[in-house]
Order: sequence, then structure tokens, then C-alpha cells
Amino acid sequence: METPVQAFERELLTLLPRLRRFARSLARDAADADDLCQVALERALKAKDQWQAGTRLDAWMYRITRNCWIDEVRARTRRAQTFAPEEAGHGVGVAGDAEIRAEMHDVDRAMGALPDEQREVIALVLVEGLAYKEAAEILDIPMGTLTSRLTRGRQALVRRLEAA
Amino acid sequence: MMQIDDDRLMAYADGELDAAEREAVKQALAEDPGLREKLAEQQRLRATLSGHYGPVAAEEVPDRLLAVLGARNTRDDVASLSAAREKRRRPLWRNLGTIAASLAVGLMAGQLIPLQRGGPIGVEEGALVAQGGLAEALDTQLASAQAPDAATRIGVSFADRQGRFCRSFDSADLAGLACQQGGNWRVVMTAPSEASNAAQYRQAGSSIVLAAAQEMMAGAPLDAEAERAAMAAGWKESGTLRD
Repeated sequence: METPVQAFERELLTLLPRLRRFARSLARDAADADDLCQVALERALKAKDQWQAGTRLDAWMYRITRNCWIDEVRARTRRAQTFAPEEAGHGVGVAGDAEIRAEMHDVDRAMGALPDEQREVIALVLVEGLAYKEAAEILDIPMGTLTSRLTRGRQALVRRLEAA
Repeated sequence: MMQIDDDRLMAYADGELDAAEREAVKQALAEDPGLREKLAEQQRLRATLSGHYGPVAAEEVPDRLLAVLGARNTRDDVASLSAAREKRRRPLWRNLGTIAASLAVGLMAGQLIPLQRGGPIGVEEGALVAQGGLAEALDTQLASAQAPDAATRIGVSFADRQGRFCRSFDSADLAGLACQQGGNWRVVMTAPSEASNAAQYRQAGSSIVLAAAQEMMAGAPLDAEAERAAMAAGWKESGTLRD
């Protein structure tokens, strides 16, 4: 017989393709995205007692993945603030970044240029195909906030992509 | 003429409006070329995003992620499959068509599936087709929203290269893949169910079905929205539905 724990992990396994896609739309490249998935999976395994059987595991995982991403973004911002004066002096960070940007696909670049709060809404609704209500619950925001972020994000993407 | 603001137009594009609201937007669209262009813009955006991110879900999942879930080791237990796989160093799913076919034949000919009325699989015009509860689950169950205690679980839905909609399923009796053709769900492969007692086959079963699905898939699996649309259209040929 299979224990509930194994069932949980098996269920996560079937979600992995979608989680990787979600992570790719949040992060700026494939390696970052899989790092994000790994961190999210580890966090989910640690917190599996908090998941209530019978509720949607995909929504729970989207939420964990998104929270891991926000933590990562905040950590990066802190690092950047700490090291910025030095890096600016050498000019290394800036050049490296520009190089990476040049190799990026138009879509990645357009998504990367969005504020996080718009990107995550676009990712859940337009990439993952969730209903507004589902996305709003995952992000813990009111519907009105969701729709206005979605509209602004879309307009920005259209401007960038149609200009590219 | 009714004013349609951007939020509403986008809700229309996302299928979030009720019937009356949809009618109002349709009417405004018929009268306003500017609005039509805005809608087309949004449809292009969605297609661009799906085209870019969709294939990620069809990629082979990296070992390091499987390892986090302990799936790497379990998979190694399936001795003959993984040994062959490791040797050839090919993607997981390349070789599995043949293996899946032989497994299916073995199971069909052997012990597990009674081909009779009331069973999950019957014969119609020489083809194996889903019937009863299995057919119903394939017809009506969305992978994105299924009851945790559903007798049959739908895994992935996708369009194959012939433009048929196919879905993977897993029930108490068996797992497998079925494709919609001429109003029937043709069972194109079966494998031991996840719930099967034969532990040594269980993991092989689920990865073989997934692998065969990846093999057959044209493009990415359907996302929740595309799945809803395909179901609403009665799982008719996918070519007319997908951009």
C-alpha cells in the first residue's frame, strides 16, 4: 500500500511540468527557474503537514513558488543595495547585466521588465490559464486589484512586444 | 453604443464574463473596429506567451528536481527500463513507445482487463474504446479541477500530431492514454495503474504513460483554459480550436 506521504510526492511529480513553466515565466532564465522550482519543492516537502488533503495542491504549489520567488527578489535587492557603490565603481555588474539582456528572448525581456506584481498575475492567468478567482486567491489580493494589474501588465507587454 | 473599458474587454478575452456581459461585448465589437483590433492584440499576446512558455511544460524534468521528490531512486528500481535508458543516454521518452506497446499487449492479453460489458474498455469496430465510467471521466473531467476521490484521475490532456485530443488516465484498474476519434475514446495504450498492487510495475506504469504522452504530443499539453475549451467543444479535432 502507498502511504499518504508518497501520494503527496507523486502528486507533486505530476505538477512539476506546470511548476517549471510557471517558474520560467517568473524568473529571467531557465537555470534561475529550475533553482526556484527546487527551492519551492523543498519548502513544500518541509511544509507538507500544512497542506490540507482535498484542497488543490496546484494552487498551494503556485503560492509557495511565488513566495519563494518574492523572497529571492528581496534578497537580491538587499545584496544589490549593499554592493551597489562598489560595483558601480568597477562597472562590472552593469556590463554583465547588459550582456545577459542582449541574449534574452523578446518575451523574456518584456516579462522581465514588468513590475513583479504584474508579472505574477500575467503568469498565472495568461500562461497557466487560471481563472481570475483562482489567481486572486493564490496571490491573496482582491479581484479588482487582480484585474487592474492584469490590464496594466498586458498593455505594457503589448507595447514592448509589438514595438520589438 | 455601450462603452467597453479595457478591463471588461480583457475579461471577455479571458472567458470571465457571464452570458449577458459577453453579448454586450460582442455587440460592441461588431460595431467598433478599434475595439476589435484591441482584442486581436490581446489574442496575439496570449498566443505569443503560450508559444514561448508552453513548451517548457513538455520538456523533460531535470533529474535534480526529480531527486528532491525521491523519484530518481524509485525510477532506478525499475531495473530493465532505466538500465536501457542510462545506456543509451537518450531522453526518457524516446524508447518508450515500443516498451509501452509490449506492456500494453501483455496486459491486454493477460490477466488485468476483462473486455466485457461493464468493464472500462470494450471493443468497437475492431478498436479498443473506453466505456462506462472511464468514458465518462474522459468526456467530462477537467484535469485542473477534479474531486480528490474521483474514481478515475485525468493526468494530462493534449493534441496529438493527427489533431486528435488525447488524455491520460489512472483508475483503480489501469492507467493509460485514450484519444478521441469519431465520438469514441480509443484506448491507445494501457499500463498498470498507480493503485496496482504490483509494486515493481507501478512506477513504470506512470512514467510510461507520461512518456508515451510526451512522445505523441504535438506542442504543449493543454492548459486549464484550453482544456475547458476542448471539453466545451466535445473534444472534436483540435486543429480548429488551437491557434
